[in-house]
Amino acid sequence: MMSVRNFPKRMILPSLFLAALIIIPFAAPLITADDPVKIAVRYRLAAPDLEHWLGRDEFGRDRLARVLYGGQVSLTVAFVATTIACIIGTLFGLVGAYFRGPSEFVTSRLSDIVLCFPPILLALLVVTLFGPGSVTLVAVLSVLYFPTFARITFSEALRVTSLDFVEASRALGTPSYRIVLGTVLPNIAGPLSVQYSLTAAAAITIESGLSFLGLGVVPPAPSWGQMIRGARQFMNQDPLGIMIPCAALVLTIYAINFFCDRLRDTLDPKGTSGSSMDEVSKPKSRANAPTIKDPDVVAVINNLRLETAHFGTPAVIEDVSLTLRANQCTALVGESGSGKSLSSLALMGLLPGAIRQVGGTLQLRRKSDEVVDLGFLDARRLEDIRGNDIAMIFQEPMTSLNPIHKISDQMIEAITAHRPMSKSDARAHAIALLKRVGMNDAERRIDSYPDQMSGGMRQRVMIGMALSCEPRLLIADEPTTALDVTIQAEIIELLQTLRQDQGNGLSLLFISHNLGVVADIADRVAVMYSGLIVEEGPAAQILRDPHHPYTRALIESMPSSHEELNSARGDRLPAISGTPPLPSARPSGCTFRDRCPIALPACAHIRPALYPSADGERAVRCLRAPEAPAGVMNHQTEAA
Amino acid sequence: MTAAPLLDVRNLKKSYSIGRSGLFSKRSLKVLHDVSFSVAPGEVLGLVGESGSGKSTIGRAILRLIESQSDVMRFDGQDLNSISPVRMRSLRKQMQIIFQDPYASLDPRKTIRAVLSEALDAHGLHKGAARVPRLIELVTLVGLDPSFLDRRPHEFSGGQRQRIGIARALAVEPSFIVCDEAVSALDVSIQAQVLNLLADLRAKTGVSLMFISHDLSVVRYISDRVMVLYLGRVMEVGPADQVHFSPKHPYTAALVSAEPSLHRENRRIRLTGEIPSPLVLPSGCIFRSRCPYAQPACAETVPPLQTVGDQHQSACLRTDIL
Ligand SMILES: Nc1ncnc2c1ncn2[C@@H]1O[C@H](COP(=O)(O)OP(=O)(O)OP(=O)(O)O)[C@@H](O)[C@H]1O
Ligand code: SF4
Ligand code: SF4
Ligand SMILES: [Mg+2]
Repeated sequence: MMSVRNFPKRMILPSLFLAALIIIPFAAPLITADDPVKIAVRYRLAAPDLEHWLGRDEFGRDRLARVLYGGQVSLTVAFVATTIACIIGTLFGLVGAYFRGPSEFVTSRLSDIVLCFPPILLALLVVTLFGPGSVTLVAVLSVLYFPTFARITFSEALRVTSLDFVEASRALGTPSYRIVLGTVLPNIAGPLSVQYSLTAAAAITIESGLSFLGLGVVPPAPSWGQMIRGARQFMNQDPLGIMIPCAALVLTIYAINFFCDRLRDTLDPKGTSGSSMDEVSKPKSRANAPTIKDPDVVAVINNLRLETAHFGTPAVIEDVSLTLRANQCTALVGESGSGKSLSSLALMGLLPGAIRQVGGTLQLRRKSDEVVDLGFLDARRLEDIRGNDIAMIFQEPMTSLNPIHKISDQMIEAITAHRPMSKSDARAHAIALLKRVGMNDAERRIDSYPDQMSGGMRQRVMIGMALSCEPRLLIADEPTTALDVTIQAEIIELLQTLRQDQGNGLSLLFISHNLGVVADIADRVAVMYSGLIVEEGPAAQILRDPHHPYTRALIESMPSSHEELNSARGDRLPAISGTPPLPSARPSGCTFRDRCPIALPACAHIRPALYPSADGERAVRCLRAPEAPAGVMNHQTEAA
Repeated sequence: MTAAPLLDVRNLKKSYSIGRSGLFSKRSLKVLHDVSFSVAPGEVLGLVGESGSGKSTIGRAILRLIESQSDVMRFDGQDLNSISPVRMRSLRKQMQIIFQDPYASLDPRKTIRAVLSEALDAHGLHKGAARVPRLIELVTLVGLDPSFLDRRPHEFSGGQRQRIGIARALAVEPSFIVCDEAVSALDVSIQAQVLNLLADLRAKTGVSLMFISHDLSVVRYISDRVMVLYLGRVMEVGPADQVHFSPKHPYTAALVSAEPSLHRENRRIRLTGEIPSPLVLPSGCIFRSRCPYAQPACAETVPPLQTVGDQHQSACLRTDIL
């Protein structure tokens, strides 16, 4: 397991804390020489003094000794019981989930039966039958808690077994017991450890409860419940008596929870702490007067630069500029991680919390013809813009539609959120929208649930909802990637016609990694590589005659560009080697240089700018492109 | 294909029971209807079809990861329908699978060394001192650096993970690999690298592949023969180039024409309507509800696979159209 050297830092504090709370009671003989059961009625309820730090109880017994020895009992009962429950329950759950069939039935039925009883009632029942005592307590608590473990293990294991990597292990011929113990179990350890903490804490409470009622640990043996029971009668005279065992309980439970919380985070292989991931980053205001002169232009992204919140990290988006016009479809293409989605999220004002805009402007012409800079609007105004002027559709419509509500309800809500109208008007409007996006029988199908529709139909619903506010700008992030080719072709066709008959000219920002789709739909193309736009211009020109080596490589590496090649004849595709660099590992000079087939030594020193062509129609970020100014290789003023 | 087939499957059927409709009868959903095919040693058979056509089901049925029924299922001379679980486990050394999702197909808790060792341990291969050289050989084979062995999956990109998945499949030196959408989740430049890797492997090791994908151009490039599925039935099967460039079945023709392309003018064949639910399949030709050439006769008989060329078969009643 873990060696001392790589013991995770975040576990040190909770481990020490928990270890202290467990060791201290067991180190009782070293701490105090007093006997926890020795009665000295003469000193009953004596106040703390130098010899008896916590004073004495109603029988004159030393409280420090009692709370320490009592802790031994309480902790032993709770941990032994929880551990037994955990082992038995986990075994039941694993067997049920992995082998299914009868064992699944046994697991779930048995758990159901036990879970029907309120825990304390069941405990009372058993203790009354078998008489009080520590062993009975352990048995009761184990029986009480093992179904919870079985339940959790069962559902978690079911989830994990359906994952591909378990199937891969089966396909490899790994024996079942090895798959269950070596693959499934470690992957459910997180939720199990959390359950362990909750159960141990609950077991301590129940043990105290039962002892308090006189049904747990038998007097005069000390336990925290016993102590509370005894001190309760003298609560008014001597509040300290009840506070000591209570404080011990609270501290112990807190220590266990603290430990298990950290443990769960540590067991997560990605080590994400999960905090503040979804918080939306707040834009910084800048005194930048927005100006879009051309009335045709809907939005302009100018020299956008995005960085992660950590100090000193490189830009995730280095330099993106785009002009989006009415009645035009601009495609943003590039590989995963190149920054396509982040650029579009910036336009929506929906950047993840960890990302900050540190440069550039994002201007938008609203329907009212007012020009705003999205970079310094407050959250409320951005929300208003998102519903009215910009809309967005995503790759997997199922994740953006709520599965438990009917389509009609979701559409009506979306419509009335931005426009005051009656429910029946909104419904009529929704039906009209669905017809517009090509849904036959919209009157009837509007009342179905998302999972009753095919992927293509769901995407139509999403498009219909996006159009409900008649936006000027529609951002489509890989809207057809999850669809079959025949359905994809229909959705592309739909987007084409919508663009043409939307009243004031819809501008479409289409994000895709599929150049074939882009060729079908786009008027202009911008190719992104590692946070930069490397080539931009009219779609037909760029795809027919790419000037950047990366664009060329993208087109060349598609099998559909090589109808003559077949692997059966030993042909290989013209692929470029390597992978796109992470933002932190971009090479000096041209970011594409370590994969570029035509790189020159100068490419390592000069970071190319986006050089415009003579007619201004297209631009390329490459030193060797026809657009690059003559002699750029010679003077090294731009050296990185 | 003169050699005896490595894999021979006749009339593969699969149905799922989906709850109860009446009190006593369980409804069943037939997702594969009498699918027959064979794969020769060293051959790549491509499987294409829309979502729900049963591509993955076929792959998993052959590997016995799910239950299925068939008249014949022979792999390397052994009858998979009657094989004992013990024999099957050792046969797994010869048949492997590469999954679509490079994120779900690797255990996030295991290092690459553990992932590959599991494969070797399962069949007692390369024990002791021979282990490390073999691991290094495997990662190098798929174009990764041996220093990656002690890292965990989350430190890798999708393309690198897919290579690890390939290395895991190759570890036991199988003679047959099911590639279920093995390159679909990859970016084009990485996809080309992985396709080249597979092409090299078949040249080097003579492995047979069943290559499942919804991308027709990818399938055409990698495969010797292509089988087109629609709702669990074979529509057309034949040499890859022929099926792609001169399809004989209206469904194949529609699929090919719907594929977005940089280079072809779009002459899309429109399909009407949606894919029918597998619960209420059309009578006769299963494709009839969307076929632009359907005739009344198509509702009467289930079209059998007919030979339309060298090794080329199509299941359409109308031989006059394409
Ligand atoms: N466990 C299951 N229970 C019920 N039906 C199932 C189950 N698994 C698959 N099916 C159904 O079987 C049919 C074939 O599924 P399969 O996964 O083989 O399709 P596919 O061609 O691989 O599709 P895709 O391209 O989406 O991966 C589908 O109708 C699917 O809904
Ligand atoms: S600048 Fe140099 S390295 Fe960069 S793309 Fe052009 S030729 Fe290649
Ligand atoms: S048999 Fe009829 S319906 Fe089926 S594909 Fe042929 S023409 Fe179309
Ligand atoms: Mg599939």
